[in-house]
Amino acid sequence: MTLWRLEWLRLTRTHRLLILVGVYLFFGFTGPLTARYLSQILDRLGTEGMKVEFPAPQPADGIAQFVSNASQIGLLAVVLVAGSAMAFDARREMAVFLRTRVNTVREVILPAYLLNTAAAVAALTIGTLTAWYETAVLLGPLPPWRMAAGAAFGALFMAFVVAVTALMASIVKSTAGTVGLTLGVLLTMALLGNLGGLGRWLPTNLSAAIVGLVSGHSPGSYLPATAVALAGCGAAVAGAIALSARREL
Amino acid sequence: MIVQTRDLTKLYGGHTALSAVDINVPDRCVYGLVGPNGAGKTTLLAILAGLRRPTSGEILLGVARHRMAVLPDTPQFDPWLTGREVVALAARLAAPGDTEERVEQTLRDAGLADAAQRRVGGYSRGMLQRLGIACTLVGEPSLLLLDEPASALDPAGRREVLDLIARLRGHATVIMSSHILADVQEVCDSVGILRDGRLLFEGRLDSLLVGRAVPAYRIHLRSGAESATEALRSQDWVIGVDPLTANRLHLNVRSLAEAEASLPAVLAGCGAHVISMAPEAADLEDVFLELTS
Repeated sequence: MTLWRLEWLRLTRTHRLLILVGVYLFFGFTGPLTARYLSQILDRLGTEGMKVEFPAPQPADGIAQFVSNASQIGLLAVVLVAGSAMAFDARREMAVFLRTRVNTVREVILPAYLLNTAAAVAALTIGTLTAWYETAVLLGPLPPWRMAAGAAFGALFMAFVVAVTALMASIVKSTAGTVGLTLGVLLTMALLGNLGGLGRWLPTNLSAAIVGLVSGHSPGSYLPATAVALAGCGAAVAGAIALSARREL
Repeated sequence: MIVQTRDLTKLYGGHTALSAVDINVPDRCVYGLVGPNGAGKTTLLAILAGLRRPTSGEILLGVARHRMAVLPDTPQFDPWLTGREVVALAARLAAPGDTEERVEQTLRDAGLADAAQRRVGGYSRGMLQRLGIACTLVGEPSLLLLDEPASALDPAGRREVLDLIARLRGHATVIMSSHILADVQEVCDSVGILRDGRLLFEGRLDSLLVGRAVPAYRIHLRSGAESATEALRSQDWVIGVDPLTANRLHLNVRSLAEAEASLPAVLAGCGAHVISMAPEAADLEDVFLELTS
């Protein structure tokens, strides 16, 4: 029994991994479906005598619909799952068990960070593959290399989100505080992204990179955000370790 | 000494939790930390465990941190782990290597062998306390810091824990805090008495009790109480005789040694029929109340 296995069991026995995958799988199925049949759905719901004309859906719309839905509920699920693991000081007695048995708090934080990141990336990947397959069936093929690059950018964004969660858990003790603060930081970044050219530097830009790529954007346009996200991951995890080591129980 | 503190002080804002505390814990003894609520016992244990930092002062530890184990007053664990997994994790973190047999033995010693496969979320508070103790012992630490180790246990469980702590004497050093003074008196060699963050007394338990005890005997007779009272009052080593009931006497003496040597002969000489006689020892509760009131 190791701290790595502890985190794996936390993900599997508490069904957190299942929930994460389920959320992304659901949106992977429904996103392209919604994009394909949105016109017909609105027709059935619409007022008699009024008809809304939609342009014919494109393959990129299937992925865009998936990302649009998953980037909200899916992200919330990722933050909740990661927050409950990273906020290991939330219950003092459980924190005493871990903290008095490791040489440094890094031994606790790293497995929790890496396994929760892996779980989030796995869920995103499964959702993306599902959306890709369904889009290909319903709307037409998508460019494979651009999809792969977009998925990689999305995975990096997940790593950044979990790193921010780890950092917030080292600032506040409770799980609710960790989740709330993390969502606050991500929301602020998303709002800042609307200001001038700042958006291309913010890691939140990566969450929808796959949509931009399949719509024809250059992969190079996401490099600034990639650099910031990579640096942010390292800084946030290092900060989490340093702040947690200084925390008193 | 395995643990020493010098002028250890801890402030929480304006509140002084510990004030210039100097403790000296001999190697391989059982050291009891007693004091009323808010005296600073948990803070002191947390500082020794490295979970809190002192505001000032120093700690001298004669043992590496990884040879130390801590038991909080109400141990809690992830409820989706089994008891065996919790102890296995504690074993792995405390002493990596082949831990399987050690885990099984510790579970048996803690009386949890039958519940080892059950998830901890279904454990009673007493079982959680036993599990906490198992996790503390499985790494065979040199120094154990136990915060109220028997507080959640029923009388049988409490007895087992006290016996277990007593068995550790000579093998490891135990520092335990407790509100149950009878437990401390039973298993501890040395005590530290805290009040309002200050150490009021530290030393060997017997010297604390003997130093404050008025030498006295309690005598229970089948018959002959009147003649015994008269005979005892004539002895120069007897300070006073107080009849407690018709057949029970309370005897204040100049020293226990003189009473031990002479009392049986005096009682035999006056024809009293003796059921029992024993020196009256001061107990920790009396001394604790005297020091902390």
